[in-house]
Amino acid sequence: MAKKLTTEEILKMSRANKADQSDTAPAEPAAGAAAPAEDSAPAKEPAKPAAAPKGAADIMAAIRAKGAGGAEASSGKPEAKPAAAAAPKSPADIMAAIRGKGAGAAPAAAKPAAKKATAEASAGNLPPVGEMLAQLKAGKKPAAVEAPAKPTLKLPTRPAPKVAPQPTRRAFLLDVLLSPFALAWTVLAATTGAWVLMLARFMFPNMIVEPPTSFKIGPPSDFPLGTVSTKYTAANGIWIVHTNQYKGKDLIYVLASVCTHLGCTPSWLEGEQKFKCPCHGSGFYINGMNFEGPAPRPLERVGVALSSDGTLEVDKSVKFQEEKGQWEDAKSFVDGSIA
Amino acid sequence: MSLDPHPNLTSSVIFGLGWLYLIQFVMNFAWTWRSLKKGTHHRVPKFFGGGEVPVAMWWGMYTALLSMVMIAHFTGFSSPERFLIQLPGWFKFFVDSFIADAKWYFGFCVGAFGLMIWFRRVLATETAGWLMLNGGVLFLTLSLTDWDFRQIVGKPDNVPIVAMLFIVGYFTWLYFNRSNENDDRIEAGLPPKEAEDNEKVLVWPDLVYTELICMIAVTAFLFFWGVALQAPLEEPASAVKTPNPSKAPWYFLGLQEMLVYYDPWLAGVVFPSVILGGMMAIPYIDFNKRGNGYYTFNERKFAVSVFMFGFLPLWVGMIVLGTFLRGPNWNIFGIYEYWDVHKLEALNNVNLSEYFWLYGLNTAMPTPASTDSGMRILGMILLRESPGILLTLGYLIAMPSIMAMTFLKQYAFRMGFIRFMVFSNLILMMAALPIKMLLRWAFNLKYLVAVPEYFFNI
Ligand code: FES
Repeated sequence: MAKKLTTEEILKMSRANKADQSDTAPAEPAAGAAAPAEDSAPAKEPAKPAAAPKGAADIMAAIRAKGAGGAEASSGKPEAKPAAAAAPKSPADIMAAIRGKGAGAAPAAAKPAAKKATAEASAGNLPPVGEMLAQLKAGKKPAAVEAPAKPTLKLPTRPAPKVAPQPTRRAFLLDVLLSPFALAWTVLAATTGAWVLMLARFMFPNMIVEPPTSFKIGPPSDFPLGTVSTKYTAANGIWIVHTNQYKGKDLIYVLASVCTHLGCTPSWLEGEQKFKCPCHGSGFYINGMNFEGPAPRPLERVGVALSSDGTLEVDKSVKFQEEKGQWEDAKSFVDGSIA
Repeated sequence: MSLDPHPNLTSSVIFGLGWLYLIQFVMNFAWTWRSLKKGTHHRVPKFFGGGEVPVAMWWGMYTALLSMVMIAHFTGFSSPERFLIQLPGWFKFFVDSFIADAKWYFGFCVGAFGLMIWFRRVLATETAGWLMLNGGVLFLTLSLTDWDFRQIVGKPDNVPIVAMLFIVGYFTWLYFNRSNENDDRIEAGLPPKEAEDNEKVLVWPDLVYTELICMIAVTAFLFFWGVALQAPLEEPASAVKTPNPSKAPWYFLGLQEMLVYYDPWLAGVVFPSVILGGMMAIPYIDFNKRGNGYYTFNERKFAVSVFMFGFLPLWVGMIVLGTFLRGPNWNIFGIYEYWDVHKLEALNNVNLSEYFWLYGLNTAMPTPASTDSGMRILGMILLRESPGILLTLGYLIAMPSIMAMTFLKQYAFRMGFIRFMVFSNLILMMAALPIKMLLRWAFNLKYLVAVPEYFFNI
């Protein structure tokens, strides 16, 4: 490999090539001269014009011929031949020849060069507008008509199309299933399906199912005077209070374990005999009255009644607020003397 | 082996503290070196012989002391029972008895804030800054010898708050340091420093590169943090179970503290909105063109002081209170105090209406009869709460005009009516928190206006 064409050189060449397309006539002898430089091709007027190149196009052609020939003698030669043979006939042929040479030089040069060259070669099937215009100006027929088949198309460097064997039914099915198109759709469908399933799962969160609002808590004797039962706090959010500290009456009632400030769950402190909220420090007496911290209202009572079997039944669906006078409601307590 | 379940010192604690002392040693070694290079001297009083000594000598002595303490930690960690370097009990008791009281704590915050402004000339020097940094780190190191202090400060989710304290301190110091310099220049008739070296840099590469490097560094740091400190996950949430104490995210602890003194609709809805809206309104309220693009204190004394008061004692101070001092049942605990669930704090609170009717007038509170109509009930409630309603309205309506006629005369004049009303009401809202706190501490006042019937309390 004597000389590799860099990408820049190739670009320069193709640019120069385009600029000189209007001036195709001088390229005629040049192409003819360039080819014989390699071997004695049947050109009509070989030596003289080559000695004194007339314009940039000539130089380009020469360079290209050299590049093709010098870079890879074995592949350059056979290509140069048909190009040179076709050369004298028309400018289109010359163009094709140049292109063919370019293509021949390319594989020897570098990958980008190869790309460029093949791109050019395939584009050569329909000459660019500029080229056609130039030919019209020169008073000739458009190249596309005259040169339907390019030498490039017959180049041995292009792989021959594979002859697909007659597919069996199974192989055909496999082909379809493994085609990128089918794969993409399958993946999309699978993802969407999983997503929909997840969405469905989301509708059933992992949570404790809301306990019934009405339930039995046992006989009154379970709750002796002066006690607060926290037995149902964790599950149902209530305290069962038996006290005589609300207006001096002996009552059993049920308080909702929700702080009236911002809804945290206070804790019952046995030693201090008070409910104390861990969030902002509100405190409530055993009877539910607020006395410290920011809570503006007493704790709320829920409904309680003695059911027919002698046990207490709590109804959480009703609330009784002290500040509204609702603690007088008979449904909000039971008489403590039955305990 | 120690039988104490809460030992103040263990081998690993002592060893870890050794590393902290090592950091301080390196810090101060570098500082000594810097001081030596600068070569500043100071006079020794006549009594000690007169003459001059290099300042670096003192730093060198402190550094040497630190190195000895460090060696003691690295060599003596095997017998924690006999290790001597720890906080004395009387000191802990002294600190706790003050800090575990909201009045004292808040008073301390406000006092420190005032001193900071007053002594800004002295405090914002480099030496003072270094001394304060040393003091802070040393205090932290010594306090870590206490078991209770370690429990609360060493919690993984409290690490950023400790870091924040140092960072806030640094930036406040930096601000005063720069403004002092500019204030001096302005006084001497020079332009501020920023006007002189307005060195412009290119977005690419200067800015973008810096940003990229910061991005990578911060990401790396977060990775390291995420691996080193485990996320403090708790048990699954439950509607009927509240952890004790139950704390908001640290940056909201100021709001949670506000909730102790105010009703949820105020502390949780109105005040946060006012804070946000008020901050956005500052550029439209501010008419002072000076201080634009450079550090200064003297040219914007009022603006800077008000903002800093809202930020330092009221916001950062409340975060510290909520993080380090609030314990079980939202009681206040000293920093060296055991978090006892049964700590008793009498907090009987009384509404203003109760004070007024029951204690002041010695009559029964106006209470609507159960047969009354809706309008009459409302009237009775309004009558019951009239003292508080009048006070609140008076505060919000009369105070702006009083302010405009007295110490904010200039402001009222320059701002015009609407701007001044917005401005003065924002100030009043901000002042409402400390005022309510004072009322709570001084009179056990619960609510000025208490209408629990309609969930309306002030
Ligand atoms: S939620 Fe209970 S005190 Fe705030």
